[in-house]
Amino acid sequence: MPIPPDYYAMLGVPRDASPEEIRRAYHQAALRLHPDVNTEVGETELFLDIQRAFEVLADPELRAKYDKQLPPVERERPPFEIYLLYSRNILPVINEPQLVYALVNISPPGSEAGSEYAPLNVCLVLDRSTSMQGERMDTVKNTAIELVRQLQPGDILSIVTFSDRAEVIVPSDRRVDRSAFETKIQMISTGGSTEIFRGLEAGYQEIRVNYQRKYINHIVLLTDGRTYGDEANCMKIADQAAVRGIGISCLGIGEEWNDVFLDQLAARTGGTCTYIARSSDIRRFLKEKILGLSRTYADHVRFDFHLGKDVELRYAFRLAPDIAPLETSSPIQLGNLQKGSTLSIVLEFLVPPIPEQVNRVALATGQIVMDIPSLSTPTAVSRLRLFREARTNPAPEPAPTGMLNALSRLTLYRIQEHASQEISRGNVESATKYLNNLATNLFAQGHPELARSVLQEVERVQDGQKVSEEGKKRIKYGTRALLLPASADAFSPLEIFEEGEA
Amino acid sequence: MIICPSCHNQEFVGALFCSVCGAQLTYQTKSPTETVQYPEPGDPSASAAETRVISPSAALSSRVSIKIKETGQIIPLEGSEEFTIGRVSGTQPILPDIDLTPFKAYQGGVSRLHAILRIKGEEITISDLGSANGTYVNGVRIAPYELVPLSNGDLISLGKFPIEIFIR
Repeated sequence: MPIPPDYYAMLGVPRDASPEEIRRAYHQAALRLHPDVNTEVGETELFLDIQRAFEVLADPELRAKYDKQLPPVERERPPFEIYLLYSRNILPVINEPQLVYALVNISPPGSEAGSEYAPLNVCLVLDRSTSMQGERMDTVKNTAIELVRQLQPGDILSIVTFSDRAEVIVPSDRRVDRSAFETKIQMISTGGSTEIFRGLEAGYQEIRVNYQRKYINHIVLLTDGRTYGDEANCMKIADQAAVRGIGISCLGIGEEWNDVFLDQLAARTGGTCTYIARSSDIRRFLKEKILGLSRTYADHVRFDFHLGKDVELRYAFRLAPDIAPLETSSPIQLGNLQKGSTLSIVLEFLVPPIPEQVNRVALATGQIVMDIPSLSTPTAVSRLRLFREARTNPAPEPAPTGMLNALSRLTLYRIQEHASQEISRGNVESATKYLNNLATNLFAQGHPELARSVLQEVERVQDGQKVSEEGKKRIKYGTRALLLPASADAFSPLEIFEEGEA
Repeated sequence: MIICPSCHNQEFVGALFCSVCGAQLTYQTKSPTETVQYPEPGDPSASAAETRVISPSAALSSRVSIKIKETGQIIPLEGSEEFTIGRVSGTQPILPDIDLTPFKAYQGGVSRLHAILRIKGEEITISDLGSANGTYVNGVRIAPYELVPLSNGDLISLGKFPIEIFIR
């Protein structure tokens, strides 16, 4: 008997989902994929799948019949584990809003040592605008050639360059002898302006050529410039990519690129955004990025949810494996779950005043969904209900150390965010206050160099000068780097990469 | 709402850190600012702050402690691997773990965040936090932000304020 299509996976709900959960999942998917809003060619099928899944699962009789044809769930243990930590166990019943933090750690099951290699479908989208000329472009070309040589035979690597137009240098093809393209990579020349949309669009097309769920599908965008006027179109591509689980990660070189824009672009798909200060670091960061992708256990991890009544999700941030601010509306794209490591996010909820008769507050209800390429039915779903009990005058309780550690450093990053907002609004006094506080904290926590960079910017702001782009990025990505787990410093991914995968 | 004790910014109930100055808003877990009672009462800042009398036995049982040379007071260093030393004044965003205000630290030239003592396994180090008057170990001025290892009985001077370190 042929295996029937996995309707549960299509909707991203667990097998024992309630009719309400099914209805909600269908509604959300339909909003994204309905032909009225999603005009992309070939996409109607995706919508029809969802439609068909809903028709079957929403009807109790059809669903019962369908369930009988399904192969038994192949796994005895869940394909991933979730560990939750809250800032407090009991919420006080009070007549004013209050904050609650949740730390969500997702990891592969304990025994998953990670022998299986996840094949890649990666497209490098390389900026070849005039400003890339010289060392930057040379390093990029050499690294690209290295990657072409080192990737596994099962991997797909395509390369696109762009300035004010895009060009496919290495097409997406599984069978192709990639080394034949080395000369073509070597001949990439610089010239023209930076129009990111051109590159992104071409890169997205290349990924789509061999798009399959068993691959890790990812676009790596490398740029040193600012794009003008096409940001909205770029975001549209990111949204389409997110629906399919195609990630977009950005590497920004030097000072001129638009970090706010690229952060958002990456966040839409759960990708990462990295600041590369010097050309000499391009090789390391680019290879680290690709290595990270090849260690993927699950791709396209997302949190699909609805909030409790009048609850607001004020802030979402990924602490590991990569540092990144996240979107705050459902579904939140969380990125990749790597073998032998933990995906860690922190959520800040603002809870409305709690009436006296209430003893339980729902923060967010939904599910963690991910694609695990090594499973025969790749989509894995687990419910996630975030809630807290409420009581009048609960005994005071200390916040767990793990929560304090995560938030103390995140606080510094957020002070930096406040400062740069105030700077862009022209509020010198307020910006100075935030920056001075940031510097004091950095000194006290043992980061004097970063603190001095902050103080330099304070002086510039006070002199009525513009903040330097370099300083701004150094502070932003510097405070972000503080959030990396301490063990990451000792870890040298580059060496492992060069030994190759067994 | 709750008020940040350092910068008086208002935060929602449940906030763990001040979003303006970064001060921790809950002190239950570890390394609260310890203000040791000064033997001569009358210093207003000492009575305003949270006070804690150190019993001699606690001081002796601790592996690392510091002695205020002027008064002979012993402060045990426990419950953390890092202790910032300084004094408290007005509207300062973050408080030192060890507050020397009651010992006339201001007159001694101690900065608000003057130095940090780190206890990492067997190694105990001090670093100057870019203080105005510098930190001296056995009479030699140390470079700011450099980790300087300490051994039992070393004499440290924060500006002109002398303390002695005991390591068991």
